[in-house]
Amino acid sequence: MADIIKPGTGLVYMKVGTHARETLADIIKRKTQEIEETGHGFWGYGGSTCHPLRMVQPFAREHQRRDGVIYLCMEPMESRHFAEPVRAEEYSADGVSWVEVPPSINVLGSRYALVIQNLREEEFELPLERTTVALGNSMGARGSRYVSGRVDKACLEVADDAPSMTAKSVRIGLVADIVEPYAVLLRNKPR
Amino acid sequence: MAEQIDIDLRAAINAVSDVVQNRPRPLREFDQIFMKTGDMVLQSELVARWSNGKRLAFIGDGDAIGLCVAHLHNGGIINYGPAEMVVFDFDERVCSAVTRFADRERLESLRAVLYNCLDAFPGPTDFDCFYTNPPWGASNDGESVKVFVQRGMEATGYGGEGMVVIADDLELEWPKQVLANVQEYAIASGFFVQKMMPRLHSYHLDDNPDLRSCNLIFKALRRAPSSVESSAIMDEARLANFYGRENPPRVRYVRERKRVDYGKAHEDEYSFDLLGE
Repeated sequence: MADIIKPGTGLVYMKVGTHARETLADIIKRKTQEIEETGHGFWGYGGSTCHPLRMVQPFAREHQRRDGVIYLCMEPMESRHFAEPVRAEEYSADGVSWVEVPPSINVLGSRYALVIQNLREEEFELPLERTTVALGNSMGARGSRYVSGRVDKACLEVADDAPSMTAKSVRIGLVADIVEPYAVLLRNKPR
Repeated sequence: MAEQIDIDLRAAINAVSDVVQNRPRPLREFDQIFMKTGDMVLQSELVARWSNGKRLAFIGDGDAIGLCVAHLHNGGIINYGPAEMVVFDFDERVCSAVTRFADRERLESLRAVLYNCLDAFPGPTDFDCFYTNPPWGASNDGESVKVFVQRGMEATGYGGEGMVVIADDLELEWPKQVLANVQEYAIASGFFVQKMMPRLHSYHLDDNPDLRSCNLIFKALRRAPSSVESSAIMDEARLANFYGRENPPRVRYVRERKRVDYGKAHEDEYSFDLLGE
């Protein structure tokens, strides 16, 4: 994974753990099966720091044009996140057209999802000090400063003027490729 | 500007709380990010004092500062405020919230007009001053701010004053660039910077909860309004990153789904388990 940590590379960083009453191991198993059956999987998430339309899609499009693959780099953690395991029934890549989530995909307790392939367990150090926030209201801030407190995910670029590799790192344990349309909005069917 | 008076803080906070309770929820895809309530109280008092006795146009007002100003004034919590206010907003929910609240509280000085700032300004163009808290332009070097400011200047016939609320941060580079570009634009349009009040307001902004905004107050060099020929903004370069990188505008109006039970918990949110079942 050394090729991820080179100047200009774009990646979506996210802390992951127990979610909606499922362990991480259970989620990985279920998502791997989804990808096998559907060709891609939905990796659910929330918050507005990586809004699908405003953040992830423009970020991913730009970096795909430039570098090819966009990586989702996930740091496993102990989580006390126990969102209600409500299954999303519809998704939208543009906020206007909504289609049914395929029966083979189950995203639980999330407002948004990244569209992923090639989910794998892979371990390496990601020095957040060597990254900057790529877009949005914190554009240009160091990743190490941005990812703190309640902020646990970010669209990051590896910086040119990065400090040394000895900078404080996070331990990535799970990686996936983000594929078109990169990120989608989720909802229940309107009643 | 009117003389500042001592105000009943509890009454002022409760008045702003009335407005917040009435306000629609923000749509992040259009950069609707709401100011925190304590800052709304202070900002509303300032705006009322700044625009005392004048005619004030709000170019967008998701925060509902216009309603706060009118409610504080009408309720006697402050004894100064603008003579007339018009809120121009492309979100029908915002316009309806203004109309609904103004009707309920008998706020005669305030009305709302559904208007998208990419269209030609509908007038009138003889307001004394304008207020705007636009999309802050992190990804477009302030171009989105300039569009809102342009409409504000048109509302005053390029002859009034304007209060512009935009990002202000000591460390990030983009707010500095936007501040510089907006000031340059205002000066080129016949205005000068009368006052800058740095890092005043906080927001419900989860991707940068510490990011503040400033008040940038412009005044026209010209004393009297001139005739304005407003036109729609079609330049793709100005629009390409309007709501963020690669996010050009694609919605003319946000339409409100009308409900008879506005402001009440929506029945999709809950159900009842009845006693005895």
